[in-house]
Amino acid sequence: MIIQRTAGVVGKAIAYLTMLLFSVMTVYPVIWLLINSFKSTPEYMADKIGLPKEWIVANYAGAWKLGSFDMAIINSIIYTGFAAAGTILLSVLAGFAFAKISSKATKFIYGSFVLGILLSITSLMVPLYLEVSQLDKVIGDLLLSFGWLKDARDFHFFYNNRIGMILIYIGAGLPISVYLCTEYVKSIPDSLVEAARIDGAGYFQIFWRIILPMATPIATTVAVLTVPNIWNEFALVNIIVSDNDLKSLPLGILRFSGTMTTDYGKQFAALTIGLMPMLLFYIAFRKRITAGVSGGAVKG
Amino acid sequence: MVLPLRGKVEKAQAYWVFVTPAVFLYLLVFGFPIVLSVILSLSNYNGGKMFGGDPWTIVGFQQYQKLVGDPNFWFALKNNVYIVLVSVFGQIPLGFILAYLIYRKIVRWGEGWQAILYVPAIISVIVLGIMWKLVFASNGLLADIMNHTYANAFMAGLNHIIQSMNGGFNITDDVVKQIIGLSNKDNLQAFSDPVSEIKDLIVTGGYSLQNIDSFKIDMTNLLSPKWSPDFMNKADLSMIPIMFVTLWCWTGMYLILFHANMQKIDDQIIEAARIDGASEMQVMWNIIVPNLSGVIANAAILCIAGSLNTFALIWAMTAGGPMNVTQVLAIYMYQNAFIGAPNFPLANAISMAIVAFSFVLIGVTLYIERKYGGKDA
Repeated sequence: MIIQRTAGVVGKAIAYLTMLLFSVMTVYPVIWLLINSFKSTPEYMADKIGLPKEWIVANYAGAWKLGSFDMAIINSIIYTGFAAAGTILLSVLAGFAFAKISSKATKFIYGSFVLGILLSITSLMVPLYLEVSQLDKVIGDLLLSFGWLKDARDFHFFYNNRIGMILIYIGAGLPISVYLCTEYVKSIPDSLVEAARIDGAGYFQIFWRIILPMATPIATTVAVLTVPNIWNEFALVNIIVSDNDLKSLPLGILRFSGTMTTDYGKQFAALTIGLMPMLLFYIAFRKRITAGVSGGAVKG
Repeated sequence: MVLPLRGKVEKAQAYWVFVTPAVFLYLLVFGFPIVLSVILSLSNYNGGKMFGGDPWTIVGFQQYQKLVGDPNFWFALKNNVYIVLVSVFGQIPLGFILAYLIYRKIVRWGEGWQAILYVPAIISVIVLGIMWKLVFASNGLLADIMNHTYANAFMAGLNHIIQSMNGGFNITDDVVKQIIGLSNKDNLQAFSDPVSEIKDLIVTGGYSLQNIDSFKIDMTNLLSPKWSPDFMNKADLSMIPIMFVTLWCWTGMYLILFHANMQKIDDQIIEAARIDGASEMQVMWNIIVPNLSGVIANAAILCIAGSLNTFALIWAMTAGGPMNVTQVLAIYMYQNAFIGAPNFPLANAISMAIVAFSFVLIGVTLYIERKYGGKDA
């Protein structure tokens, strides 16, 4: 009994220490970042660990201005907002069709979406880039032949174009979200749809009045999973967008850090600016985010 | 009879109207690029208009042959394998054990630990990558902490030596040898005859008991061992920070995933096993692992797909450098397509290689799960 109890106490101590170690390793770097964002560069060089003697808030103003982070944040909000909304709408639409409207095509199409969960968009970034740059040329030539465009050389629908970037993000998010929405809509009773059909409702009415309102929980899940993915996305926006006015926050941070290698104070301030939006998003929606992740909807 | 027919047409119309937008964008982002990649990897296309521009043709498997004989490709693949290994055999077991500790209430405040450990997974890897780059830099946080630790140890040793002088300040060869004993070889390289030279330094420095503190500080600055592994600039060490950050970043996500699925297990089985005398280790290994084998396999699949495609984190930390030692397949592909003279066929061949490796490893995972996994997963 005594041996067992001692073993239990030692085990518990080790367990707590493990948890504490991992938590400190998670939290400390972030706090370190925050503390150093208020130091001047000479002070950081002299003391990397302690609190700043003088809290220099100007680091933030400087970084904000030099990195044009206002623009970057607006761009990120545009990309994330529209792409997440589009992903949800298209996924629930497709999910409704796959789950409630019988068709021989479902097996193949839906299967393709599920298979797509395993495909990472990073591995396809080169062919995707080549594809959209060719599409830009084709669309440009087409508009030129219609006389809607005077010069097709600088016309881009995807490259350096917010609309194109948003469409690509929607496509990239579809496999997992179509899967989640289809499985969810399957759980809505068929009788609801059938009753509405007998009452003479069209499929669009059923979608707007029954399916979409009932799909709110899964739409929320898709939203909390998609928003961080798009907000943090780097590989695609890095090759599709080169215009500084269209760059998202991660691109802005990387560019800033590359040009400000010796100004540590501003560098830390920029990193804090980059970290805050998703940290606040996490604090606001933590329960929903973790519920979504544990639903098996992981992509890492 | 008219009505059902109209119903059928309406149904088919609705189906395609609902499905088409998603299918269209899916083809845009996944379907066509894959087909295009297969074609281009077999071609001699190298930029320009694909239709109506310079003519290009299919030339066969040249690029794949080139890859097989390309040491850079195998080197990048090796680094990817490191990341796959640290992910599958690091993140997953660690996440699992931490989840178990919380699930079995071996530690309290489970909710709190989970909330903290998930944080890295939701923040941009660009931000985190730059942050860790600053930590691991040769003049970064880690070097600073280590040097402080060494300096403190040196100072403590120095204090001990001063105490053993019994209130005097008598620098003999023996004392100098003791001080040198606290230092390390690298610091002594500057001296041809350390003992006499350092003794001279101390004697001519005018140190006494009155300014003993400045003696200590000067000696520490001069002789305390320096810690400079300089991870980011050394070929044989530079993958270590990347592997560490990979582990650091995603373990919390697997913790959340496993913990949520553990809660679906009927805990009466566990209580019964505990009453029968099974240890926590036995419960974990014999009950929880088999019950969660399907979830573990899914986690492994996502882990593999993610690790083979790792790009942004390494791009932010090292961009594949120095001298390409942290090269991975995705960065090698990027370089071939977008840096310097493009080689689109080769880049596409690498793209297809990544997809192929992912599917092979995923197949292996599914096979292992089917063969050894629990039944009710």
